[in-house]
Amino acid sequence: MRSIRLEKVKKSYRGTLVIPGVDLYIPAGKFFALLGPSGCGKTTLLRLIAGLDQVDGGKIFGGDDDITERPINQRAVNVVFQYYALFPHLTVFDNVAYSLRLAKQPKVLIEQKVVRLLEAFHIDKHLYKLPAELSGGQQQRVALARAIINEPDVLLLDEPLAALDFKLREKMLLELIDLQDKMKTTFVYVTHDQFEALTVADQMAIMNSKGEIEQCGTPKEIYEFPHSSFVAKFVGTTNLFDGKLKDLESEEPHIDIPDLGKFKIYIPQKKEWMREGCDVMMSLRPEKILITKKRAKNFSNKLKGNVVSIVYHGRSTQYNVLLSNQMRLQVFEQNEEHFPQEVIDYDNEVYLYWQKENVVLLQR
Amino acid sequence: MNIKESRWLPPLPFFFGSPVLLWQLFFFYLPLLLLTLSSILTFSPLGNFEGLTLDRLLLFLQPVYAKVILSSLLLALSNALICFFIGYPIAYFLAFKAKKMKPLFLFFLIVPFWINFLLHVYAWFFVLEKEGFLNWLLLSLGIMDQPIPFLNSLFAILLMMVYYYLPFMILPLYSSLEQFNIQLIEASQDLGAKGWQTLLYILLPLSKGGIMAGFFLVFIPSFGEFAIPELMGGDKWLFVGNVVSQYILSETEGALGAAFTLVSALALLLAALLLYKGLNFLLKPKGEHA
Repeated sequence: MRSIRLEKVKKSYRGTLVIPGVDLYIPAGKFFALLGPSGCGKTTLLRLIAGLDQVDGGKIFGGDDDITERPINQRAVNVVFQYYALFPHLTVFDNVAYSLRLAKQPKVLIEQKVVRLLEAFHIDKHLYKLPAELSGGQQQRVALARAIINEPDVLLLDEPLAALDFKLREKMLLELIDLQDKMKTTFVYVTHDQFEALTVADQMAIMNSKGEIEQCGTPKEIYEFPHSSFVAKFVGTTNLFDGKLKDLESEEPHIDIPDLGKFKIYIPQKKEWMREGCDVMMSLRPEKILITKKRAKNFSNKLKGNVVSIVYHGRSTQYNVLLSNQMRLQVFEQNEEHFPQEVIDYDNEVYLYWQKENVVLLQR
Repeated sequence: MNIKESRWLPPLPFFFGSPVLLWQLFFFYLPLLLLTLSSILTFSPLGNFEGLTLDRLLLFLQPVYAKVILSSLLLALSNALICFFIGYPIAYFLAFKAKKMKPLFLFFLIVPFWINFLLHVYAWFFVLEKEGFLNWLLLSLGIMDQPIPFLNSLFAILLMMVYYYLPFMILPLYSSLEQFNIQLIEASQDLGAKGWQTLLYILLPLSKGGIMAGFFLVFIPSFGEFAIPELMGGDKWLFVGNVVSQYILSETEGALGAAFTLVSALALLLAALLLYKGLNFLLKPKGEHA
């Protein structure tokens, strides 16, 4: 278990800057998720940490040691590759035993360790099969076992569940969380899937398409208090309104949205960029809105609109509501009852209510 | 589409395969039979059948001839080994490092085949002869003070063999390495393997098909090679090909040539089998439970 610290790490491929100078701290013994859109450079970052590629600038620290120049086979960092990269000519046992044999551990010990780990992973029945004879989920476990058997300081997982179906993925996510809990190894999980990242992470970082880290924090911080419109849009779904900040110094600050009106906002901490009358963006998550045909009391903000489409998701229903400024607002409602008292249908005129505390203001 | 349609087609009748069978029959099995017959049948000088004999076959078990066969095997094996050790890095480079330049390099690899074999040989004459390029280079660099007679030596034979057969090794190696998943190399390194360990435990066993193909494509024709030893070695070295050609081209010794061909073919078969077993043993996955 070790922390990883990146200091101004730079990397280009064939003249294109992929990582423009990243600072990142991955705390020791935590499950860390690196989330970003496809092609944003998150896999590159992982390869740099693993030592599969060399940095063009900056430094990488493992704990307090500078490991920037350390060759890949001497880093106590192991990778679970996206498509597992199991050795097709070796049995499950030999795949998992590979690193132990290279480390010249005694035979008896290797046998013991491998069998015990594969038992824990429920693949001890398939010890002497070749990878091609296993299912996707089993291959995934073998890849995982192979990467952790030598007890690395840091385990890097590169979209490890991408090739699995949804149900299996959910199950493996929980198993990964369990495993990390037991091992206390630092896990770095790279994914473009926000669901996976939010599920597994103790700490996470969001990377934008330019290869910059937009925000670091716990999943809850990231989701509830995004620092930028990119994070707000990329993690979860949100409604973004452009407006101007008003009455900043007063008791009741507002946002003035053209063609829609003034809405109360709450500013827990005044940011440096906030000025009276400055351009601002307001993020309002769809599940933070109450949708109803009747009037409701005790909400700070209210809007009117027309339901233009309804998408039934099972646990929730998504309403798309057309506002007077022609903007479409998304609203999620939990489907709490079989027979709801109020049925909202297409073309219904609805009221939308939300509390001022539930919006996030973003710089524009 | 094709699969669906082929359902409605009856299974192909047997005779559809007959061209291949006929080809094999007339150009392989029949000649082999004739070869065998002419090596064991005796005829009177007037052409009358006299009987069977094993004398000719047994003649070639004498040490003189066994030596010729053995040296041919050694030549073929050294050629295959040298081609492998030169060819593998080249194939590796082509498959993993050449990137955009790949078609160009492959083109260079194939281009020598467009030029007549004899021209190759004469080109090498100019390089290797006493006043040739190589001696000029060595003398003017001051490495040697006397020209070396490169021609008519085992060195010249082997050089020409390697030069000619190298593409036959590189191409199958290249095609097997090209399909190689490079992530396996990364995984091996990641698990702590040094370069040579990855080569030995991952890369070589997984390119076994290409290595086998390359070895046999070089080894088998090298065994019967007679033009190169003849041209590059003067008449100092005798290999299977030279002995056979001497017999067959003479008016009266055709039967001996047939017998020798048969004996050496059997020796080659045995050697190829040993080579196959040997490569299989060397390239088998290194694991307890493989």
